[in-house]
Amino acid sequence: MRTLTQLEAADFINRSFKPLPRAYGDALVDAALSDPRIVALCADLVPPTETDRFRDVLPERFHNVGIAEANMIGIAGGMARSGEVPFCHSFCAFITKRVLDQITMQAAYPNLPVKIVGFLPGVATLLGVSHQAIEDVAIMRPIPNVAIFEPSGPEYHAAMVQLALDWDGPVYLRMKRPETTPPEFSPMPLEIGKGVIRRDGSDITIISAGLCVSESLKAAEKLSRQGIEARVIDMASIKPIDSDLIIESALKTRAVITAENHSVIGGLGSAVAEVLMDEGIGIPFKRIGIQDQFCEGGTTPYLMKKYGIDADAITTSATGVMKRKAK
Amino acid sequence: MEENHNFEKLQEIATRLRLHVVDMIAPSGQGYVQQGLGAADIFTSLYFAEATMDPSNPTWEDRDRIFLTTAHNTAIFYATLAERGFFPVSELSTYVNDGSKLEINSSERMGAFVEATCGSLGQGLSVAIGCALSAKRQGRSSRYYVILGDGEMQEGQIWEAAMLAGAKGLDNLCLIVDYNFVQSEGSMDKVMSLEPLLTKMTSFNFSCLEVDGNDIAALLNAYAKARETKNKPTFIKANTVMGKGVPSLEGLMFHQLRFPEEVARSARTELEAQI
Repeated sequence: MRTLTQLEAADFINRSFKPLPRAYGDALVDAALSDPRIVALCADLVPPTETDRFRDVLPERFHNVGIAEANMIGIAGGMARSGEVPFCHSFCAFITKRVLDQITMQAAYPNLPVKIVGFLPGVATLLGVSHQAIEDVAIMRPIPNVAIFEPSGPEYHAAMVQLALDWDGPVYLRMKRPETTPPEFSPMPLEIGKGVIRRDGSDITIISAGLCVSESLKAAEKLSRQGIEARVIDMASIKPIDSDLIIESALKTRAVITAENHSVIGGLGSAVAEVLMDEGIGIPFKRIGIQDQFCEGGTTPYLMKKYGIDADAITTSATGVMKRKAK
Repeated sequence: MEENHNFEKLQEIATRLRLHVVDMIAPSGQGYVQQGLGAADIFTSLYFAEATMDPSNPTWEDRDRIFLTTAHNTAIFYATLAERGFFPVSELSTYVNDGSKLEINSSERMGAFVEATCGSLGQGLSVAIGCALSAKRQGRSSRYYVILGDGEMQEGQIWEAAMLAGAKGLDNLCLIVDYNFVQSEGSMDKVMSLEPLLTKMTSFNFSCLEVDGNDIAALLNAYAKARETKNKPTFIKANTVMGKGVPSLEGLMFHQLRFPEEVARSARTELEAQI
């Protein structure tokens, strides 16, 4: 066969790049256009963190600091001390675990408005263990002054930017870039410290965040066919958490499960358990998440099934919890 | 320093490795084509000529260690390991499939021939230095090769590690930076230049060499010089061309490309013509 010229090859390659969905990135640009304090930093992962438009629209307020995450957090601390509101971008694994001390000392302790934005939450990546953040919530949650928010879909991405700005201090946003351009959606608001009841039911409460919310809603439909009506709460505000809603739901349904794309140790499930125990509510309870193990890379549906955080796993756990409730 | 190498054979191996890179990435479009093609000569020279190893005994304690710290450049890495006999070539077709150990970022769950899990950039050099220090104390003659990315050298840990290696005069350590001049956002210059890199590394007490990273003889010469250098680690700046070996892709600077079918087909034809 005829081989391609370099120009032809480059043309094929250029045309193969599909525009990426950018609900978060667009919201950040919109916010920055009306708030001159906002700047964006990135450790050389610009399109994967949806900051390409920010780079192009506001180049003087965009800093690609190179592959140097620790330096980025320190720089952000300096900018925040100087009156700017820096949004720092990398993958969840690198912008939490890798720079934990810098976050603690240069953003959290001085309580500065450094916004830490990670992509690739939990197991959701082909890239494997180095790029998976299955313990990021657990390590960020005990740091004083830090708020943690995780959207359950692109319709909440704009709200993430607003929540980050509304919190007068450091924030960790745990973002998931949609893999395909989502169908039309209406941006949905969120409030700091408030969960959202996405479906109501009186038999069991499923509290989840991020990727697991849609799985929980699917599970609720399956459970409904078995005669079990589940309340599904989207706990986008992981910290501060909506204790009132957790307590009210637990007392109403007398059974609670949590579902998260994260280790069962230290994340949303632990946060909910803390609220229940502090309140002295002893009811059937189950945490669904990664079971204290390292994971492999793969497609997201494959990994969610393999590690037991998909709708089937949630349905099975809910059924088990309902049996304990009946006793 | 004159050593007997069959350059014709090494060149043929490099071409075969490049063909694997194309075949592994074409089906899914996931992986790093340009970097794999560009680094094929570094992998060929290290694994098929320079380093001492025993594929039937990958944990042999006197082996030379090769650390791939840019652990995403795995199409070429796995192709090399398979052709060198560490696992069957037939497994290459499972690259990035769900359930396959051949993930984009290599991890030691594959076996001992992955000396450390390095997908988080900037960490591998420190591990290699730890191994090299232990070898010195234990009186072992193994050599420690680290394939670094140029963009990766922006990580601060690299410089902490380099400072120590230089201060300790670790002459069993040889760094090879795959200098393809591209990182995720584009050219290194655009993001943050490393230059003057050789001056920097020289001041860190490294013996520095700059070679054409797509010239197997030049690479082997540099490794030989490194072996003869005493009381200093060696730093080889290996200038590589992205897409090397496939004329239609040579020099196209894409960090990640989807590898359209037409391009993959052409690349395969271009490589097959060389064997």
